[in-house]
Amino acid sequence: MGADFSMQTTTAAPKPVLADPSRTPRPRQGPLAGVRVADFCWMGVGACATRLLADFGAEVIRIEDRNRLDMPRRLPIYKGEARTYGEEDANPDPNKGGLFNNYNRNKLGVTINMRSPKGRELADRLIAASSVVTENFAPGVMERWGLTYERLNQLSPEVIYARMSGFGHTGPHHEHRSYGPIVQAVCGLSYISGLPGEEPSGWGLSYMDNEAAFFNASALLTAIYHRNNTGLGAEIDVSAVEAGINLLGPILLDVSVNGRSTRNGDYPTGNRLEHPNAAPHGVYPCQGEDRWIAIAVFDDAEWRGLVSVMGAPSWTAEARFATQAARFANQDALDALMGAWTADKDRYELMHRLQAAGVRAGAVQTAEDTNDHDPQIAGRGVFFEMDHPVIGEARFEGTPIQFSQTVQENWRSGPLLGEDNAHVFKGLLGVAEDEYEELAAEGVI
Amino acid sequence: MAQAKHPLSGLKVVEVAGDVAGEFAGLLLAQMGAEVLKVEPPQGSPTRAVGPFAKGEAGPDTSLAFWYYNSNKKSAVAELSSPAGMAALRSLLKDADVFICTLQPRELSALKLDLAALTEAFPRLIVLSVTPFGLTGPWVDYKSSDLIALALGGPLNSCGYDDHSIPPIRPGGDQGYHSATSFAQIGVMLALLERQKTGRGQLLDISMHEACAVNVELANPYWFYPKVNVQRQTCRHAQPSPTQSALFRCADGRYVYFALILAEPKAWNALVSWMDSKGMAVQLTEPEFSDVAYRQAHFHEVQELVECFFLVQDSHDAYLDGQAAGLPIGVLNAPEDLFGDEHLKAREFFQEVEHEGLGKVTYPGPIYRFSSFGGVPRTAAPKLGEHTAEALADGARTLATEDAAS
Repeated sequence: MGADFSMQTTTAAPKPVLADPSRTPRPRQGPLAGVRVADFCWMGVGACATRLLADFGAEVIRIEDRNRLDMPRRLPIYKGEARTYGEEDANPDPNKGGLFNNYNRNKLGVTINMRSPKGRELADRLIAASSVVTENFAPGVMERWGLTYERLNQLSPEVIYARMSGFGHTGPHHEHRSYGPIVQAVCGLSYISGLPGEEPSGWGLSYMDNEAAFFNASALLTAIYHRNNTGLGAEIDVSAVEAGINLLGPILLDVSVNGRSTRNGDYPTGNRLEHPNAAPHGVYPCQGEDRWIAIAVFDDAEWRGLVSVMGAPSWTAEARFATQAARFANQDALDALMGAWTADKDRYELMHRLQAAGVRAGAVQTAEDTNDHDPQIAGRGVFFEMDHPVIGEARFEGTPIQFSQTVQENWRSGPLLGEDNAHVFKGLLGVAEDEYEELAAEGVI
Repeated sequence: MAQAKHPLSGLKVVEVAGDVAGEFAGLLLAQMGAEVLKVEPPQGSPTRAVGPFAKGEAGPDTSLAFWYYNSNKKSAVAELSSPAGMAALRSLLKDADVFICTLQPRELSALKLDLAALTEAFPRLIVLSVTPFGLTGPWVDYKSSDLIALALGGPLNSCGYDDHSIPPIRPGGDQGYHSATSFAQIGVMLALLERQKTGRGQLLDISMHEACAVNVELANPYWFYPKVNVQRQTCRHAQPSPTQSALFRCADGRYVYFALILAEPKAWNALVSWMDSKGMAVQLTEPEFSDVAYRQAHFHEVQELVECFFLVQDSHDAYLDGQAAGLPIGVLNAPEDLFGDEHLKAREFFQEVEHEGLGKVTYPGPIYRFSSFGGVPRTAAPKLGEHTAEALADGARTLATEDAAS
């Protein structure tokens, strides 16, 4: 997510939801079945990382604070209302947020007030019953609650403790405030994106929220695999900025080995590709409003395919376009001619004609397009639907890995606030009925 | 069980990868201790021909793109289109744990390489297929590239400038391929965990197109729920309707990203006192600006003052001072700025790797740090065929090289 929202809110305990047997927690299947995760994550990165564990059988128990609602519960991504994410309600319904549902399917949800001693005691009991603990608070928050790795290891010997942050848990900037766009700026990914000589166009999404989540998930899976082999737990420190630097690619070596300066005005290169010398390599207008097609030509064979689809207009035979090197050198002219040719074409029809001729081409698709008009995605079942007690039927983005054996078990949409308190506290931890009532009455859960 | 120093120590990976998606997946496994053998045609992997090149000298062993994604691997030459080369590959797969393969179905058919059959022949083998569109579906034979994948999958639609006469702009650094790698890496780890339970390998089919389609962040939930498409904006989130600029130019001509939030009192007060400390808060200290509604009504006035404020400061100072004031602000570093960053230095992030004839080369350090074990230190990518002799069994080696030479 893009901005800083940290308002304090108070949300009353929700009315009891009608018991729905299909939402009752059950034994899970998958490679992570039997792994219980005390999940202190919130926001995008953490929730997206532990979603990958929950999808494949881990019993992920989200620990939330009624007094400080997770931002995805607050952001106004609601059915039937098109608002920017900054236009949130003053007192939003915590169970209505689409983004929370999207990030937290297949997880359990409990509430604990970590500011109260009884709450922290309850959290200790949950940690003791878990073998993995995850968090992505600002550094220092878990320590404030006494939840250091040493302490967790006492509570749950050989625990795996995953700590996800923007800058890592050491170093002079470890307390810097961090959101996707800040990570993208600091690690260099924003700067290397844009037209030469113009302000960077950067990113229109928190790409690094997702990518940091994926790397955190793979670090967790690696640590679990290693513990299965050796019996050893671990503390994991992943800095999103450091992950982002790993995603810069060879430009980093061009700078470190060749001393290239990226501040000379010829870098970044917009949609053009320096290596290899592809041309044309761009995004060209199509019929309709803000409709585009991407076309990439890497060699003579692909150029011949493109020329044949164009019907071999005379300009394609000019010497300045005769070789790949010549086309690369004359891209200004080439791009203008390409754009004039594509402008009145339908983006899909053109893409299919070009692909049939062996030319790399793809329509620029919106989320609507990939969800509703993409036969390749539809046929492979990437997106799916599940019901939610407040939101109703909702669509989800699956984990795009087709396994021949492993099952992604989608058993439930995102938890309502505190939905699994009774199951977890009474059922798993053995909290007695009267104590449970007391904890609820005192606002501990 | 014996304690392995690296989590994937002892695992054997065979890689037949001709693009960044497969090569990066192999690298991530190698960095956790797996032995990764890259099987290349006699002329070398096509990725060896992609620049930039060390000191500008093109050659099979000087591609920096190849170096970046093939550290810590071994290289063996085998011509898979020959029976001997294919036999050599099969003999390697006999005791391999993971086979990374980026060949599209049409190429697999031409080689008579049946991935599902491999998992039958070698029951413990995890076959990781990473391709542009996956192994099934109507677009299965379509060709792709990083730009094409980002376009079709959706991320590109969110990236570019406020001015929509400019096309969407591809973010830098092969992020379509990297998205596929992310799911490839997660898939392999899940398959290894499954194999710990069942003893069986399996076939994993990763589509770069699908990896991109779920890597669009808010664009999907905005379609799932309010059914709106987001609109791209300059260096900030694509949204259903336009929001204010978040990129501010500084005195040194560089930029900072700063989301100006008027509604949150704490952030507002921090901003005003920071501006005031430089004598530049002007009328923002007036009492009427403490009212959110007033601030919102005078938004353009505020934005202009903030623009002026950044214009007289250097970007790095603005970044550190703003962060010290508790504000979410980031400097837009260029790659060359990173090597001197005090935070990364203190964390000893970058790694030096010795390259024959070139000396030490600086690479990015590890993505994740574990307290009780670690990855392997980065080593230089292999020269073409550097490990053919040790990797291929004698018989297979003779056949493979004879065939390759003929």
